[in-house]
Amino acid sequence: MRLALRLAIDKAFTAATAIAVIGLAGLLIAVLGPMVAGGAQAVIFTSTIEFRRMQLNLYNRGDHDQITRQIARASAARQKVYDLIDEFKQGIDTQYLADQVRRIHRQFGQELKERDITGPTYAELRAISAQIRDRLEHALHTDDQDIWRADLDYVLGFSSDSRLIGTAAEAYFRIARQLKQATNGLDLSMRSQYALALKELEDILQELLGPRPSSAAPPLLRQQYGATRWDQAQRLLHRLLYQTKWVEQGRGRPLVRMEVPRRQRFEGTCLEQLFDYVPNHIRDMLLPRLTFYWQFFIDDSLESHTFGGVGPEVLGSILITLMAMAVAVPLGIASAAYLAETRSTGLPIRIIRMCINTLAGVPSIVFGLFGLAFFVLTFLPALGLGARPSILAAGLTLAVLSMPVMIRSSEEAIKAVPSTYKEAALALGAGPLRTFLTVTFPAALPGILTGIILSLSRVAGETAPVLFTGAVAMGPIPKSILQPTRTLAYGSYDMAVGDRIAELSPHNQYGMVLTLVMLILSLNAMAIILRARASAKLRGH
Amino acid sequence: MQGHRPQTMGWTPIPEAMTMEISRPSVTASQITALPSPCPCGVIKAEAFSLYYGQKVGVRNVSMEIYPCTVTAIIGPSGCGKSTFLRSINRMNDLIPGVRTEGRLLLDGHDIYDKRTNLVSLRQQVGMVFQRPNPFPKSIFDNVAYGPRLQGIRNRMQLQQIVEQSLRAAALWNEVKDGLNKSALALSGGQQQRLCIARALATRPRILLMDEPCSALDPIATGRIEDLIEQLKASYTIVIVTHNMQQAARISQWTAFFCLGELIEYDRTERIFSNPTNKQTEDYISGRFG
Repeated sequence: MRLALRLAIDKAFTAATAIAVIGLAGLLIAVLGPMVAGGAQAVIFTSTIEFRRMQLNLYNRGDHDQITRQIARASAARQKVYDLIDEFKQGIDTQYLADQVRRIHRQFGQELKERDITGPTYAELRAISAQIRDRLEHALHTDDQDIWRADLDYVLGFSSDSRLIGTAAEAYFRIARQLKQATNGLDLSMRSQYALALKELEDILQELLGPRPSSAAPPLLRQQYGATRWDQAQRLLHRLLYQTKWVEQGRGRPLVRMEVPRRQRFEGTCLEQLFDYVPNHIRDMLLPRLTFYWQFFIDDSLESHTFGGVGPEVLGSILITLMAMAVAVPLGIASAAYLAETRSTGLPIRIIRMCINTLAGVPSIVFGLFGLAFFVLTFLPALGLGARPSILAAGLTLAVLSMPVMIRSSEEAIKAVPSTYKEAALALGAGPLRTFLTVTFPAALPGILTGIILSLSRVAGETAPVLFTGAVAMGPIPKSILQPTRTLAYGSYDMAVGDRIAELSPHNQYGMVLTLVMLILSLNAMAIILRARASAKLRGH
Repeated sequence: MQGHRPQTMGWTPIPEAMTMEISRPSVTASQITALPSPCPCGVIKAEAFSLYYGQKVGVRNVSMEIYPCTVTAIIGPSGCGKSTFLRSINRMNDLIPGVRTEGRLLLDGHDIYDKRTNLVSLRQQVGMVFQRPNPFPKSIFDNVAYGPRLQGIRNRMQLQQIVEQSLRAAALWNEVKDGLNKSALALSGGQQQRLCIARALATRPRILLMDEPCSALDPIATGRIEDLIEQLKASYTIVIVTHNMQQAARISQWTAFFCLGELIEYDRTERIFSNPTNKQTEDYISGRFG
């Protein structure tokens, strides 16, 4: 019985530990999975012709002739959309038409004078023109369908007047006919609302397809190109087809989000067919194609990460990490060697140990402020290097941050070297320095490298210490270590808290975070390979 | 090999003791008789030597002379100070905080504990082999060349020569000559211990201290080491600490019996084991004590 119970307890323990490991693995996948999936989107995605146009214009990448041909093909498919909008505008944009009507009246008067028509004929024709003008303007400003029709019919009644045929006045009838056609089925009282809805539609179309070929280039780079990514295009298409409304459910109750087909607002008008045409021809308009955008890792970003990659961030992170390691590794190992080899157990040594242990647990923002106060504002100016954030200051700050951990782990590694090695070296006549360099250090190297790996990962991913000492969200690629740089960790933070950039280009934010993880992983992999080689050498393989 | 011997560096070859060819003693004998000088070994003399760890006694009031080119065994129960005495000879006890000495310990007439003693040259004259084989985690070649390199020998040819001679002297050459670049840790325990002996020999010591060199080895490896000691005693003063009475009786000419930090009896091995003068010694040897 007792044996059975003990066996059961043993099994339960094994099961519990196995579940813990599985849970941990699951958690890891749950955390990393979406990030990897999101980050991969920054590199492997379906691009549109707008992306290729952007790459050609901004980075001079791709086959110029081929892209030009594709742009022409896409433009042909888009033309129908623009035609439909222009046609619909006719019935809506009354101010523009009213201006035109007045201009026609003036032109007609001018023409009569040029044809030397004077006296009563002139007065009569002028009166007719004025009448037509007034009736058209009247029609353009009315909300009443009957008055509208009566006015237009009255104007069109003059169209058979032989005195008007072949003159500028013919333009009146063209407008009248167009109006009659365009507003077929149009509720005139809704005209201002149509204008608003049309404006919305045009804005979405601009985001989707880019600015109209005829219009002037918008000032912002991101407005000069439509949806560069197919997933983005599909989101915009959805926004084009459905309007989001917040509907009140009752007093004191939260608003409910509802999606209403946008088509409803244009029911019965010529624009209705747009809602069939766009979804059916979106592929022709954007020419999607699977793209492997590996240049993401080396490209500079444009307009705060709307376009481009994370090249400068990668460079900055590597520079700052190397800077920190170049300072922290020699200092840390030397300190660890002293602490491990010293035979003193006096108060100073104990205080130093306590300080190191405490520093290892200090929040990184404290190191950031320390770095600002000491390195940026005191130390570097004292050397005549100018009081401003720089790679050097950030590297030194991170070195200070990483040293406690490095000292602790290196000290343990050095202490773990069997004393028989040291005895053997001493018995052969080696001094303490020689013993350390030729025997203790090589034997402790795997353990020391473990400490370096841990520090490296921490340093490469730190945000707070570089916040004040060397990182910027935007800025040129640094030309020396005395200039600040962008870093992956700080960039991710800035994108998350900055503005709508993360919302506009979530793939870039994910991509940046994934790049950071990959950078740390590859730095670690290098250190792990080094460690494996060092310890294989120690084991005698 | 012998013809290229660089005399300028003061290097004289270590006599080769080919343990692998023990069945051919004529070779060994001829090698030993061909020594350049009759006996270059050192003489150790303790004069009322005491060593304390703080308040604790390590060894007290030891007076004895260790004769050159002999094997001297130090026996005694655990904690009796025999290892302490051995480690005093090359000052390995200096590593322990709070050590102080009284009396004198002389190597060829020079006080080992004199302030002017050069520790590096002392330790190169007094080689040491430890209880557990402790080769460095380096290649066999680098292990043996460690001492010569410390002496400033950089010439590759010369190092190779020293390594070969040392390994031959330690009767390991034939086993490792094809893999000098292999890690020393890949060797067996007995081979590792012989490598440690070769490493100690490579600095050309005159005295070889052995702190229970066979306690971590199996009987076959122990036999080999004992044969090796037998070969080496012609050219080195060997002091060996051992717990194994038979071993002491087999390999040593002189035996010292320590108890509670004091030297109880020191005499020729035959006399210690056959006819000890001291009751304590007799009890210990016959197994009634310790």
